[in-house]
Amino acid sequence: MTTGRRAAPLSAPVRAQRRLAWALCAPAAVVILAVTAYPVAYAVYLSLQRYDLRFPNDSRFVGLANYTTVLTSPLWWEALAVTAVITVVSVAIELVVGLAVALVMHRAIVGRGLVRAVVLIPYGIVTVVAAFGWRYAWTPGTGYLSRLFGDATPLASQVWGIVVIISAEVWKTTPFMALLLLAGLALVPDELLRAAKVDGANAWQRLTRVTLPLMRPAILVALLFRTLDAFRIFDNIYVLTAGAYDTRSVSILGYDNLFTALNLGVGSSLSVLIFLVVALIAVIFVKGFGTAAPGGKTGR
Amino acid sequence: MAAATATRTAGRAASAQPRRRRRSAAPARVLLGWSAANLVIVGVALVPLLWLVSLSFKTPASITDGSFIPNEWTLENYRGIFRQSLFTRALLNSLGIALISTALAVALGSMAAYAIARLEFPGKRLLVGMALLIAMFPQISLISPLFNLWRILRIFDTWVGLIIPYLTFSLPLAIYTLSAFFREIPWDLEKAAQVDGATPAQAFLRVIAPLAAPGMVTTAILVFIFCWNDFLFAISLTSTERSRTVPAAIAFFTGASQFAQPIGSIAAAAVVITVPVLVFVLLFQRRIVAGLTSGAVKG
Amino acid sequence: MTVRDGGRARGVAATLGALTLVAWPALAGCGGPAGTDGAGPVRLTWYVYSEPSGSFARAAAACSAASDGRYTIKVSWLPTDSDGQRQQLVRRLAADDSSLDILALDVTWTPELAEAGWIVPFAPADARRLTEGMLPVTVTTGTWDGRLYAVPLSTNVQLLWYRTDLVEQPPQTWDEMIAAARRLAEQGRPHYVEVQGAQYEGYTVLFTSLVASAGGQVLTDDGTAVVLGEPAERAVAAIRALADSPAADPSWSTQRENDNRLAFEAGTAAFQLNYPFVYPSAWQNDPELARRIGWAQWPTLIPGRHSRTTIGGFNLAIGAHSRHRTEAAAAIECLTSRENQIRTAIDGGLPPTIEDLYTDQELIDGGYPFAAAIHEALRHATVRPRTPAYQSVSLQIAHTLSPPSSASPGRLRELRKTISDALQSKGLVP
Repeated sequence: MTTGRRAAPLSAPVRAQRRLAWALCAPAAVVILAVTAYPVAYAVYLSLQRYDLRFPNDSRFVGLANYTTVLTSPLWWEALAVTAVITVVSVAIELVVGLAVALVMHRAIVGRGLVRAVVLIPYGIVTVVAAFGWRYAWTPGTGYLSRLFGDATPLASQVWGIVVIISAEVWKTTPFMALLLLAGLALVPDELLRAAKVDGANAWQRLTRVTLPLMRPAILVALLFRTLDAFRIFDNIYVLTAGAYDTRSVSILGYDNLFTALNLGVGSSLSVLIFLVVALIAVIFVKGFGTAAPGGKTGR
Repeated sequence: MAAATATRTAGRAASAQPRRRRRSAAPARVLLGWSAANLVIVGVALVPLLWLVSLSFKTPASITDGSFIPNEWTLENYRGIFRQSLFTRALLNSLGIALISTALAVALGSMAAYAIARLEFPGKRLLVGMALLIAMFPQISLISPLFNLWRILRIFDTWVGLIIPYLTFSLPLAIYTLSAFFREIPWDLEKAAQVDGATPAQAFLRVIAPLAAPGMVTTAILVFIFCWNDFLFAISLTSTERSRTVPAAIAFFTGASQFAQPIGSIAAAAVVITVPVLVFVLLFQRRIVAGLTSGAVKG
Repeated sequence: MTVRDGGRARGVAATLGALTLVAWPALAGCGGPAGTDGAGPVRLTWYVYSEPSGSFARAAAACSAASDGRYTIKVSWLPTDSDGQRQQLVRRLAADDSSLDILALDVTWTPELAEAGWIVPFAPADARRLTEGMLPVTVTTGTWDGRLYAVPLSTNVQLLWYRTDLVEQPPQTWDEMIAAARRLAEQGRPHYVEVQGAQYEGYTVLFTSLVASAGGQVLTDDGTAVVLGEPAERAVAAIRALADSPAADPSWSTQRENDNRLAFEAGTAAFQLNYPFVYPSAWQNDPELARRIGWAQWPTLIPGRHSRTTIGGFNLAIGAHSRHRTEAAAAIECLTSRENQIRTAIDGGLPPTIEDLYTDQELIDGGYPFAAAIHEALRHATVRPRTPAYQSVSLQIAHTLSPPSSASPGRLRELRKTISDALQSKGLVP
């Protein structure tokens, strides 16, 4: 559909086109790089220093020592495991529930507008604020959920704390997932489904044999984005448990070491490691599953 | 981050034929089933919000009774937060910063997205890939350096100081979403209109703009929600009422004493800052839905 | 793609670009900090948490007025929670912010900020004058390396609050308290002991108070080595004794000061170890209950020896990059003066640091019927571990000994190692 993909000698129009394209992209690129390039480089630089704000006179270059500190600390591995569990479980639930919600939104005959509006509420509500709601709901004495479960105190245990964190995360982001999947559902031609029905496929078979395979690209992109985003989870944990009872994610660990311990060296090496893990996830998705890379070739 | 696929489809839908209705006659049992599913979804989505609403109407004495419905109702929590410039000013900041960021992100994003969708140039994939990768950088690690830099540039604790990072993190989203939309716009129509005698401006306004609008509105809403939602930058790059946004201001709410949790005030603030988003969503629901899901129509 | 398309595109781009350009300068106009220098009184900025009663704002106004045009104090609010305050302050201090004239510091921050060179010490003569008549333990918190860095503004200390309709004679020791609660439980009456148990600073405070009451300390006096030892084992045993008894609130492991207050006001508890804010709160929410609240000294671990709790409170320091240190010192003298301490104590409920105020009838009538008890507690009180790495040490204590039901001698050995690492800024903090 678009043009110019054919390799051609650099004619004047092509050169003009390139200049225009770069001119159009420049403002956005400048804004993006202005904010990130310096901090990213600075974080890498700091991660190679012993730099503790409380002991400013002891600052010096220490090579990879901070990385050794982090990688040999059980806290890092525990935080990584907690983050991985939260990411995998919440994204998996979101996928299933999101698909169900998308199907309802897609197929529902009555109240479709209502569902669509209501589903956007969790997405639109500020995460921190929603997290306060969950925290109070689970506070014994104050909360209805805690009362419902006999003055339960889930936020004071690792397993149940993580369960609450996941539920808050799922509630907040499932609508987003549902919207993405809804778009994917739209790719499934009715004719195919009707044909499958005529051939005797039941609803489940139509879903697994026709709908889901056709939705594969949409599902993969949705999974990629949500996985990367879930991996950075911060706001929900910050409000719900502040990382107590070993519910801290890698971002919380990084925050605590940077801003509470003021250990910029170790904190920055945590930041860099988190970034590397995120990049690794992205590579696995793109190379491993063939998720459509952003900016790739146009659709069909 | 990812309404991108959604929008890709949406764009496709824009090129599609008129709506066709289907499923005219459904058996009553199926209808009932879907309605029940609707109810469950609506319930699950609403209950946590209603809980905050309930907390916001409770009196200090009854706020810890654990009841879902207030036993004693009061408007005091709302009066309390609106009495303080701490909150009203933060609300103004939140609105202003989010709206300006949204406008800029959509403007800059449209330019870049147009180039990416319609023009061929080297480094295109690299550009988009890098942008998205950078947008995935853990925001926590940007805070300290940004703080230092902003102070040197004298934009610490200003609107600009928040708008810039918001742009950084929302532009990749905007570009990706918009380019998916733009890619699906049948630009040939524009030429056709010109052949029919329209001037280029008319052709653009009458043919292309309406097709691009759903994508831009959808993008704007996604970006707005992102900016509205931000917590980390807001607590780190502001220090006074001049630029403090609502999520950051919540940490400044005080209870009756040093140790008391201001549950009622937080809940009231939560309800107040959810309202603009709800209004947005309701006002533009059709647009969002059209943008994201015109799936009922297929080409 | 044709050249013509390129032209169209350029038009679109130009429009969008123009939009951006129009918006930008309008925004930049909001930027740039307001100038602080100039003729007239020096403008000092006081960074302090947003105290709900407004007593700090009134103190700032009063001192500005009393300075005869030397200075005006502008209050810049900090978040309500102590971690939030510290993060905001430290971020600005690390950036050499000259607007940090007067800083309200939590009592545990002095060594850290002093060691980092972010606050400046007072000259010995000034130090003596500024702290004259103040409780020695409060002055200790503002002192590091033998020099005064921060002048005490307010203090705080826990008492044992109990229900006079359930308990005739307040228990003197921790074991007696648990035994009394156990008896009440057997009679089916309210019996919980309300005390902080969530994984946070308040739990560290509990632990250090127990260690001190058992005659020990967490760190050496110079803050360079771990002590703990037998008293710490007694402290852990005390935590476990409560955790394993019916006296423990089922939600102990999530409770902070305010949760304790709420539970006590709800009527399920017989005892509460908490700060004095619980008393006016009870009068406000449940006067019937408030009439039946008694107070006594914190329970001790060694019969016959007074308990030793650790104090809270705020001190005022001068930022190292302030351009108005002299005026800031004068302002601090005014803010911590007798009149302002009475005001903060009565309006804001923050106990004063000037010793003879505890026998002042104005204070006692202004909401401190328990002034004598606080005074007694303060005279026996101690301070939390004093080291620049306090935050890390505290996090390790709360982390390693949480939840209370899992505290054990084994955990204590682990704690010895993690604190030792923290003191050398080795390792991650939880």
